[in-house]
Amino acid sequence: MLKITNIMYQYAQKKPFYHYTMEVKPQEIVAILGESGSGKSTLLDIIAGFITPSEGTIVLDDKEIVSLRVEQRPMTILFQKHNLFEHLSVQKNILLGVSKVLKDSIEEVEKVQAILKEVGLEAYEHTIASELSGGQQQRVALARVLIRREPILLLDEPFAGLDKKTRLEMLDLVAKISKEHHLHTIMVTHEKEDCERIAHHVYMMENNRLELT
Amino acid sequence: MLLSLGVGGLLAWALAHQSAFRGRSILVALFSSSLVLPTLIVVFGIIGIFGRHGYLNQLSLFLFDDSFGSYLYGLGGILLAHVYLNASFASRALLHAFESIPKEKYKLAKSLNFTVFQRFIYVEYPAIKSTLLHIGATIFLLCFTSFAVVLLLGGSPSYNTLEVAIYEAVKLDFDIALALKLALIQLGISAILVVLSSRFKINVSNLKTSHTQIPWKEYRSIQWIQWAIIMIFALFFISPLAVIIIDGLGADFMRIMAEPLFIKSLFTSLSLALVSSLLTVGIALVLSNTLRELSLKTRLGNKPFASIVQGIVAFSGNLYLAIPSLVLGLGFFLIAQSYESPMWIWSTIAILTANILMSLPFALAILSPAMQHTAQRYDKVVFSLGLTPWQRWVYVEYPYIKSALGYILALAFCFSLGDLGIIALFGSDTFTTLPWYLYQLMGSYRTSDASGVALILLVIVLFVFVSVPLLFRSKHA
Repeated sequence: MLKITNIMYQYAQKKPFYHYTMEVKPQEIVAILGESGSGKSTLLDIIAGFITPSEGTIVLDDKEIVSLRVEQRPMTILFQKHNLFEHLSVQKNILLGVSKVLKDSIEEVEKVQAILKEVGLEAYEHTIASELSGGQQQRVALARVLIRREPILLLDEPFAGLDKKTRLEMLDLVAKISKEHHLHTIMVTHEKEDCERIAHHVYMMENNRLELT
Repeated sequence: MLLSLGVGGLLAWALAHQSAFRGRSILVALFSSSLVLPTLIVVFGIIGIFGRHGYLNQLSLFLFDDSFGSYLYGLGGILLAHVYLNASFASRALLHAFESIPKEKYKLAKSLNFTVFQRFIYVEYPAIKSTLLHIGATIFLLCFTSFAVVLLLGGSPSYNTLEVAIYEAVKLDFDIALALKLALIQLGISAILVVLSSRFKINVSNLKTSHTQIPWKEYRSIQWIQWAIIMIFALFFISPLAVIIIDGLGADFMRIMAEPLFIKSLFTSLSLALVSSLLTVGIALVLSNTLRELSLKTRLGNKPFASIVQGIVAFSGNLYLAIPSLVLGLGFFLIAQSYESPMWIWSTIAILTANILMSLPFALAILSPAMQHTAQRYDKVVFSLGLTPWQRWVYVEYPYIKSALGYILALAFCFSLGDLGIIALFGSDTFTTLPWYLYQLMGSYRTSDASGVALILLVIVLFVFVSVPLLFRSKHA
């Protein structure tokens, strides 16, 4: 279970404090709705460790993670754009999630092939990322989530720029991955439809505070 | 070129990751000004620091009772001055490329636990690669056609560039035939270089840098390295300028400014700079508009001849790169010998032509994208409303390109004011510019007067470079 308790964050003095409290169980998808600039993505940045809260705790299975550095945190984050290294192949993009050496092992490559099959991109293993469509690029980013095997998945409006059909396909893929791999998924979105389709709980960011709807 | 790119790249990397310290924007603005700093002033400042009687030797004498001697003149000095001029120019363009990297990429790299080296390889290098290539081509051509630095710091003919050899053949040996041969060689090589770098594009911008503030801190050791790079380069960059200011303040300005030759050279320089900068702006406007006409689908861009004519027009703007100023000057010099007109007329025409050609590649690199952008944005509505060209200029065009025009005007003015190229062929007691006058003072060891004139030149250049763009500020650009 991922427990976020009384997290407070302030961007600068005289700016308002954001307050966050929420829980996410394994296999659960929690959506956060709210207007632009309301502080939805700030929570993801805090969980990922990009920024440090002034108060509060984040606990995953009884382990406090606020004190951990970004790279030590058990999470993978997906943004709306710039999730991939566009000049590299699909295979290398996924492998960079686990291995940073120039020569990758056969086992790792086989693992990538299996994961690509899971996300429906087995034919694109050696394609350069920039040649893929927006939906395919996000599938590659999701494939990297799978290879990393981190229990927390943070989605910062990753499907906002896609057409409706592709977006719905991607949402279904997230739901499948989240369930099969026991992920704690938090998804920031503008679309109520996204929430209705895959979220188990929906939170609303209003008046700088996260409220369960 | 490699040294300049290496130093400039390191500096840009350090500045990109240390984006929040006090005085950063002033430091970056100072590095930007290296583009317009007169070469002669830079060399004068470098001699003040690293020369035989420079501050470094004086410090060494004070501390260790021994000096480094005379080590500046020759290859070392030439490299030092070129790195000074080009590394800061490169760093400014590369910093812009670093700062254009989306924040998400850095977050991704961090969450994937990349080392600093991996982050550079996978995130930063791909983003700066094309800028690196363009800047590399620019610096290579600038170094290849370098004149003033080599003339002043070359020390011996073994380090001469073709431009200096042409100058020496004309002015010292009076061997016009040799000068012509050298000019043809220079012309041929320059043309090949320009063709080879046909995708050449000068990355110069009046855009302010945006701070890509990454919310977490770098590892302490990396931070130390970045700070060390910034401090060392800032010291390297600022110290020659500081020397000019310190030494210059001790000069007898009343006497310098009362000298007829100084007054004459100042007046000539300012007049030439004003005329050539205005002409540069005018020609850049015409060329940019023509390029736009030929490239946009809403205009002539769909005609079969468009791309060929566009190539010719673009090349004419970059003529300076293929025809170095000394070669151009030699041409005018030969015409002046053949026709009976007062020499000052030919000198003026030659200098104005060279100055305009020198500024045009930069002017086009700034203005052309701005005009292109305005057309792409407003063509459809302007055409549908049936606005006249004048209405279009007043309501649509000028507000959006105003700041670019101001920047070009300042840039061309400063380039012209500080140039010690073609004047080396035409300079005389009756026709002189401020840089030529300074060069003569340096040559006759009137160091105190030279310091004063260098300071005056520096102040004018920095004043124009800072104040003119402010006059043309636009909220739309």
